[in-house]
Amino acid sequence: MCDLAAIINIIGKETARLILGLIGVLIVVVVNALVLTWVERKVSGHMQKRIGPKEVGPYGLIQPFADGLKLLGKELLTPANVDKPLYYLAPVIVFIPVLVSFIVIPFDGFLQVKDINVGILVILAFSSLSVLSILIAGWGSNNKYSLIGATRSVAQNIAYEIPLLLSLLPVAFMANSLSLRDIVEVQRQGWFVWRWQFFAFLIYFIAATAETNRTPFDLPEAESELVAGFHTEYSGMRFALFFLAEYTNIFIASAIATTFFLGGYLGPVLPGIVWFFIKTYFLVFVIMWFRWTFPRVRFDQLLNFSWKILIPVAFANLILTGGILKL
Amino acid sequence: METIIEFSYVVVFAIVAILFTIAPVIISRLIAPRTIGDKTFTTYECGIQPFGSAWTRHTIVYYTYALIFIAFDVDILYLFPVALSYTKGSNIKEFYSLLAFVLILVLAIIYAWGKGVFTWKRKNL
Repeated sequence: MCDLAAIINIIGKETARLILGLIGVLIVVVVNALVLTWVERKVSGHMQKRIGPKEVGPYGLIQPFADGLKLLGKELLTPANVDKPLYYLAPVIVFIPVLVSFIVIPFDGFLQVKDINVGILVILAFSSLSVLSILIAGWGSNNKYSLIGATRSVAQNIAYEIPLLLSLLPVAFMANSLSLRDIVEVQRQGWFVWRWQFFAFLIYFIAATAETNRTPFDLPEAESELVAGFHTEYSGMRFALFFLAEYTNIFIASAIATTFFLGGYLGPVLPGIVWFFIKTYFLVFVIMWFRWTFPRVRFDQLLNFSWKILIPVAFANLILTGGILKL
Repeated sequence: METIIEFSYVVVFAIVAILFTIAPVIISRLIAPRTIGDKTFTTYECGIQPFGSAWTRHTIVYYTYALIFIAFDVDILYLFPVALSYTKGSNIKEFYSLLAFVLILVLAIIYAWGKGVFTWKRKNL
């Protein structure tokens, strides 16, 4: 049992897995951010009958690299009367929840960094941490726009976290597991969207759009009233880090929706990882589509929509699922 | 053993995330230009002269929302262990326990609703 060689063997294997996983995840994060900035500009352009970026490289494909280089060469301004420790801390912790969430996301049957048996809880626990980073950024900036944006963001994130939890819960009830791979494997009998959980999917998607601060719920950074919300005072690379985290959060939200409701990596003919990315990027596209379809909601409407409609419906859905499982 | 390995994954990823955010800032610091102007380091306030600090008092509305959130979040987390053992037995009793738990939570929403937490009117302080 306590064989030293066996322990070393396990540790060696785990270290290799950890390093490979880290490299893979970092590649996914960076490539995803590059792709999404390009796609967002192209989608926005075409939805407004424009072309979008087209000068830098074929179809403007090199544009994200140009943007990245530009941001790297921009001056890092620190305004005089900020709370310095908090101001520097915020962009540092913004990436922790993003990267940790990637540990449990199953890209394919075996392409998963580590199948933690409480996978949902890991993601949910760490995604609450991103609110903290936003609050620190807003408070530390000593800017009125930033503080209003941060306050709104906290209120919005905590209001929509409950429907988020309640929409993932029925899936855990049906799958009888909190591990993300188990949840995907259970869906071999049929995706959860079509197996009783259609409303849970809708609730999750609305709540996830709100959690990632996307239009129509982009009040924390409403550019027409709050300039840029919590990252008004951040410039250059620090701003780019918030930006990167935001795009990765969109990817994670869509990936979780895919895993829980759309069968994850399951699909005919093509390999699993291709199906996973097709489904995820389709959901990302839908979130971008929202941006050009819905106007921004008012803040009290936003909060009350969650408390008065989403949460009661989610509770009813949970009871219904519990009843169906016992029939 | 397994738990320690899983924890170490989370810790390593968190540390790499921190390094991942520090590295570009350092690179940028090395190559980016510096300017020192008259108003370079003032707080941004749409071009007007900034007045006062942002650290002032806030409306209480947010606070009541935060209070009900805390109660809810903790209560709903109790339901995750239930999800694992719910279908283990075929007893209908579990459904009634779930029903009772959720109904009590719904009662909390009804109470807050009745108390006027969700009406967003200007309160004269």
